[in-house]
Amino acid sequence: MGLLYIMRFTLLEAIRRRLFLAVVILSILILTAFSILLSFVINASQVNNNNSNDAQLQLLGAGVIITLLAIWMVYLLSSTLTIVFTANMISGEVDAGTFAVIVPKPLTRVEIVLGKWLGFALIVCTYTALMFLSFLVVIYRQTGYWPVDALYALGMLELGMLALLGITTLGSSLVPTIVNGAIALMLFIGAPIASIVQYVVKFLNPSSLHTVQNITTVINLIIPTDALWHGATFYLLPPAVEFALMGLPQDFNSPFTSGQPVAPALLVWAVLYCIALPGLAALRFQHRDL
Amino acid sequence: MTQTYKEPAIEVEGLRKVYRSLVAVDDVSFVMSRGEAFGFLGPNGAGKSTVVKILTGLVAPTKGTIRILGKPVSNLEMRQRIGYLPELPTFHKWLRARDFLKFHGHLYGMRGMELEKRCREVLELVGLAGRDNQKLGTFSKGMMQRIGLAQAILNRPDLVLLDELVSGLDPVGQRDMRDLLRQLKSEGMSIFLNSHQLADVEALCDRVAIINEGHILKVGAPQSLFDEAPAFAVRTNPVTKELLHRLGSIALSVCQDQDDPCLLYVEVQKEEQAAEIAEVVHVCGSLLYGLAPHHRSLEQLFLRTIDASRHSDPVGSRLS
Repeated sequence: MGLLYIMRFTLLEAIRRRLFLAVVILSILILTAFSILLSFVINASQVNNNNSNDAQLQLLGAGVIITLLAIWMVYLLSSTLTIVFTANMISGEVDAGTFAVIVPKPLTRVEIVLGKWLGFALIVCTYTALMFLSFLVVIYRQTGYWPVDALYALGMLELGMLALLGITTLGSSLVPTIVNGAIALMLFIGAPIASIVQYVVKFLNPSSLHTVQNITTVINLIIPTDALWHGATFYLLPPAVEFALMGLPQDFNSPFTSGQPVAPALLVWAVLYCIALPGLAALRFQHRDL
Repeated sequence: MTQTYKEPAIEVEGLRKVYRSLVAVDDVSFVMSRGEAFGFLGPNGAGKSTVVKILTGLVAPTKGTIRILGKPVSNLEMRQRIGYLPELPTFHKWLRARDFLKFHGHLYGMRGMELEKRCREVLELVGLAGRDNQKLGTFSKGMMQRIGLAQAILNRPDLVLLDELVSGLDPVGQRDMRDLLRQLKSEGMSIFLNSHQLADVEALCDRVAIINEGHILKVGAPQSLFDEAPAFAVRTNPVTKELLHRLGSIALSVCQDQDDPCLLYVEVQKEEQAAEIAEVVHVCGSLLYGLAPHHRSLEQLFLRTIDASRHSDPVGSRLS
């Protein structure tokens, strides 16, 4: 029961922060600006392309590219929000001294950590889902494109956010806020480097590809956010047979997109990761002197 | 609250806490009875706060056993029956006073109308009636202390642990808090008061433990705590060298008041020697205007005890 009260308290606290208000206002502004710009671009392109079948297919193709770019922006926004919002989850309360009257209450420290984690998980996942669906609705209305497996893509994104939340939760129980934020940010930014290097090596030095792939796997195990993003891009694409019809390239394997779904083993690892890290944070907090 | 007075509220045995290489408390043992007001007295850095943090589960002991209301510190059922106010408390400033109390009430398992009613009661008790809609961010230091006490007694605890209760309060606030604590004590609540404010301890506590450099030096009732020889305040005139010499021969020590040269403080082995003092004054040809037992303040006794412990144990590697 204590866990639910801590979760509710965390939600209330987060919502009352100015940061939350700023994020909501900016997100609405971004979405509005995106909607207006997209409408302008689509209307301009349709002037020359009437309502023929080819034009419709080309519009759908444009919708695919726009979807990838828009959801990549959602991914970046949600990730930034996760790090900024949650880097002080435990360390902030410890530094402020507010835990001094909560910890002696009749609830376990595990309930405190998991209650806070749950509260932030709800915020981050809700924000990601709302932004994801809002952008897809805007794109659908303008281009007619709606990814068949949109919910799978959303699932991958949410899992990525929970992985990032797991890192900040554990970091917050171990190190000061600023250090935790810096570590999470560097890991998040550093993760795609493996994909970029792998992509470059594929063209320049294919003989080393196996070694690079192994390194990428290790990086994906340390921080699976980038792998999950690649997994999300796969589900944002239309079926491969429609690529040519829509005028899209046949190969979507790039440093930022993937033509294949996430390997089941990595998916299992990501789920375990999202569970284990908050668990480790709770274990660490259990033995921490306040 | 129908507990027997002598049942222990807090039992501490062989408590030791080491932060890396620093020994904060060492071999601390004491028992506090239920219904008792127990003062924990010591200078800054003595180890008081560490002991309180261990008692409330904020800090884990390196060694030793602790039982609160007969249960280990980790016991959740026990925690439902205690209240705690930390020193200079920090709360979530965005909360309104009522919401703050309701949150803590929920953590205690309180619900609905019972909680609403109790919130109003405690706000009134701590002198914050009518402030229930005010945000904590707008509270003064003293008001923070009051709302902190309100959350500590919200659950009608059997035992309340207070760390430097009056540190943020003005004199009126200090008096109000002392009165409130006396009232709570009269209702049967056990009070553990961690303080370096001797006036609090003297006014409220049945027993006091003096701690310095991580060790408990003495435990006992405030007035009987210190093993001091009886002393008398002697007002006489004139104060001659012969008088001082003769008094010195029957007393342990004789001191002349710095501001009033006709006032002497004579420390003797037993109270019955008052007659001997009067006789000496008479024999020396001085007039005796007053002869009364001289009770040293707790502050004087406390400082003497701390000074004595410092001279006998020059350990410097301990902290609070």
